[in-house]
Amino acid sequence: MDRKLIAELVRLRYKLMWAKTRSRNGKIALFLAGYLLLVMLLALMGLGGLSAGITAVQQGRSEQVAQIVFGGLFMEAIIAPLMLGFGMNAVFSDYELRRYPVTAMDRRLARHFIGILDPFWAIFLILELGLVVGLYAFGGGSFWAGLLAVLLLIVSNYMLARVIGLAIDRLVNRKGGAGILMGFVILLAFVPGLSIPALKHNPQVGAALLKALAYTPPFGAAALTTGAPLRALGGLGVIVWWLIGLAAVLVALEKRPPQRQTVATSKIQWETPYDRIARIFGPANAPLAAQWLRFCLRNNRFRVLYVLSLPLAGFITYQMGGKHSGPGLALSMFTAALSCFPWITFIGTSRIAVNQYGYAGGAFRRYQLLPSDPAASLRVGSYVNLLFGSLMLPAGALLWILFSPPPLLISRLLMLVLMGLAGLFLLHAAGLWATVFGPRKGNYTASFGNDMSAFGNVVVIGGVLLFMAPPPLLKELLPAALAPENWWWTLVAAAVCIGIYLFSLKTVSALLVSRREHLMAIVEGRQS
Amino acid sequence: MTAIQVSGLVKKYGTTVAVDNLSFTVPAGSMFGFLGPNGSGKSTTIGCLTGLLDPTAGQVEILGQGFTSESAALKRRMGVMPETLGLFDPLYAHEFLAFVGRMFGLDETTVRQRVTELLTALELTDSSKTIGEYSTGMRKRVAFAAAVIHSPEVLFLDEPFESIDPAGVALMKQWLRRFTDQGRTVFITSHVLETVERLCNQVAIITKPGKLVWEGDITVFSRDGAVEVGGARFTALEPLFLHLTGEKYADLNWL
Repeated sequence: MDRKLIAELVRLRYKLMWAKTRSRNGKIALFLAGYLLLVMLLALMGLGGLSAGITAVQQGRSEQVAQIVFGGLFMEAIIAPLMLGFGMNAVFSDYELRRYPVTAMDRRLARHFIGILDPFWAIFLILELGLVVGLYAFGGGSFWAGLLAVLLLIVSNYMLARVIGLAIDRLVNRKGGAGILMGFVILLAFVPGLSIPALKHNPQVGAALLKALAYTPPFGAAALTTGAPLRALGGLGVIVWWLIGLAAVLVALEKRPPQRQTVATSKIQWETPYDRIARIFGPANAPLAAQWLRFCLRNNRFRVLYVLSLPLAGFITYQMGGKHSGPGLALSMFTAALSCFPWITFIGTSRIAVNQYGYAGGAFRRYQLLPSDPAASLRVGSYVNLLFGSLMLPAGALLWILFSPPPLLISRLLMLVLMGLAGLFLLHAAGLWATVFGPRKGNYTASFGNDMSAFGNVVVIGGVLLFMAPPPLLKELLPAALAPENWWWTLVAAAVCIGIYLFSLKTVSALLVSRREHLMAIVEGRQS
Repeated sequence: MTAIQVSGLVKKYGTTVAVDNLSFTVPAGSMFGFLGPNGSGKSTTIGCLTGLLDPTAGQVEILGQGFTSESAALKRRMGVMPETLGLFDPLYAHEFLAFVGRMFGLDETTVRQRVTELLTALELTDSSKTIGEYSTGMRKRVAFAAAVIHSPEVLFLDEPFESIDPAGVALMKQWLRRFTDQGRTVFITSHVLETVERLCNQVAIITKPGKLVWEGDITVFSRDGAVEVGGARFTALEPLFLHLTGEKYADLNWL
């Protein structure tokens, strides 16, 4: 192993990261990231891991609390990279590293070493260390064993997220893969919720499940941190076996190139569904619309997020609203669905919607060479995103009709759809602003990783939170707003959001002309 | 008749001057070579002439009409092969060319006919690969096809021959000669001076930062004639270019 060269590549990764902060956008992003990191660390060290450790020792349930905290963080550190791309940025591809005099093994080690040194994983490491410190300070566990446990846990967490990411990537590249993925995610989203009542009636199944969980990395880490020497050794063994297994799967997946869907035919298809759908945008916009439809639907990240968005919303709706039982269940589920409907219309399209030109690269020039309004591509791209987003509304409504607790009220269904429309237009309006004022050169072919600008991240994450928070607050503070007879305010909200979208479309289109040279430099990678 | 008229063109990026008071004329029906060393402002000038960039000062006239980036009607009469090629990697070549043809207002029958003919002529008939999977040379061919599909009156080609195999270059040269024989104009930037010398009849040479140092007829070279500049006599384009731009070959002893 050439440690010197690997260290040089790691240094290069951080040099590149630092270089990005030289621009104005980079400085803003650095400031925001630093501030958020500090706040999160303070809050989560103080209130999260550390206090969980103290509570665990006081209650005499150190290992159980460690299992819950490690398990929860482990799951979050898998969902966040898959949905938002954090911690999954491929800084160097294997191909790029081939120019250096390093072996295949060194290249693999360098790539993953760089990957795991992403600041995202440091946050989880600190959170888990907080628990270790808490347990150690109050005599609930060994510090050094705990340190070893969380270091190994983070590595296994990173590797599992990578394995799942690669598996999804390989799956969506296969014919019908997106459908299989959707079915699988729906299963994952709904089965745990539906199985809880079943587990309550069959405690022996629950006990068997807990026994099986003992062989997972978080439970292994918990045993290593809090257990007696023999038990700790068992915990260490569990994580080590996982690491070996994950490494083997990771190498196998990386060695297996993605099988791209190709139609081997010498006959050109002139009349495709893309062209037929594009005609609904009118003859002037149809060529651009067909190009945007292809651009979106051939993008792995778009397909993955589009397929995942509805099952994820279903899962969150059930998690937020399904805790109640009896007469309160219907209102609770409705409140949760009201939080989710606005962003199901956006998650799938979000990456392209907030950075329409970032994935086009040099092709941005082509739009400017066309004999049309320079902003036509921006508008038509946004219309196509709206079309994709809007398709989630009937699908979401159908799921609500099928799975919502009775009674099914049409006015509530209408409220959900209207809030979905509000989210669709407001979030895509924000996406237009981010496209022009927060562009970033992205990697079109990457299935995972967060390559959005700070502005883009604010729109996507902030947009989801913006719609998630109000319904539960309304339920507590102004319950009348959720009453079926007061459905009209959602109509007002939708109308206001449509107005904001139309205003944004007009204003941003005009601003694009003056910003296009800057945009061109950024999306072509000449400026950051 | 004049195809392109550039007067006092200036392009600045902040305080950096990329093109400095550039003026030249390209006659209609000519094959015009626009030469200069790396970073001299060739692509910036083409950017200003094709609407990709907005000039800081100066005027551009194309086919007798004032041109800005908003001149959609004039753009229909121009074909451009930009430096970065401007290709949509996820599309197949036929999809991309059909898109460009439709955007330039060709009817569907013409689009289909021309796309098929261009793909066949440029040997791009492998429809199992997207543009992103093509080699550099194939990508150049697609970009060239996109520039000519609507049969423009003025064609701008930024480094068109690099990475294309000799057969492809020969074919493109043949097309370009036929293009100018019909009274249409070709504006080329290239570092391959031999090709420019054989293909072009007019040349403009610029140096950093976007300053014109020479403009004239180079057909004299093919007639065994010479060009005189500042008392020196040049019988080929390369020594003339090196003399005007002050380019020197660095000597690396260790190499």
